Amino acid sequence: MGRARKVFFRRRKVCKFCADKIDYIDYKDVKLLQQFIPERSKILPRRISGTCANHQRPLQQAIKRARHLALIPFTTD
Amino acid sequence: MRTYELMFVVDPRVSDEDVVTMTQEYRNMIASGGSTITAEENWGRRKLAYTIDKLNEGKYVLFYVSSETGKTALPEVEHRMRQNDKILRYLTVRTDEDLKRAARRQPAAGTTPPPPGESTSPAAAEIGPDEEEV
Repeated sequence: MGRARKVFFRRRKVCKFCADKIDYIDYKDVKLLQQFIPERSKILPRRISGTCANHQRPLQQAIKRARHLALIPFTTD
Repeated sequence: MRTYELMFVVDPRVSDEDVVTMTQEYRNMIASGGSTITAEENWGRRKLAYTIDKLNEGKYVLFYVSSETGKTALPEVEHRMRQNDKILRYLTVRTDEDLKRAARRQPAAGTTPPPPGESTSPAAAEIGPDEEEV
């Protein structure tokens, strides 16, 4: 981050949950979770989404719960 | 006090009335096990994200359970659900700790999910209609 290796400007990613002040990530909130499961239905990594570690953890838990209840897919084939 | 959420998916071929009578048994078990059902949600028929036992749909029912003593009949209920082949999926989640943590982090703002106050909302308003055609 601090090193000036990249010349071009890159937009700083912000954790969505910090920005929107969502503290309880509900496994029933499919719309919210879907923002973090791209086409292949894998969980979007932190380095892409910018989610902070404190929120990625419950997010991951919520996604896995929702998958178990068939609210969101494990894979898309 | 401990709070739990118990969500389960019922075979869509079971009629709505039968779902009610079937779940009545679980309701009774929870009530007699020292805990109360604070709210209930019936999402009705919903498309599954993947097929379960060659089924594409399921009927979703959700119980909000709270227990003063921390004693519940939920293990027994889960056991019964496992034996019932009309129950495709079930999930019990303990919610009090996470909700408390969330409330502590932002005492004033109103974005924390509403505690299960209203009972038996007709359908999950946020997740219901727009999911149908996939």
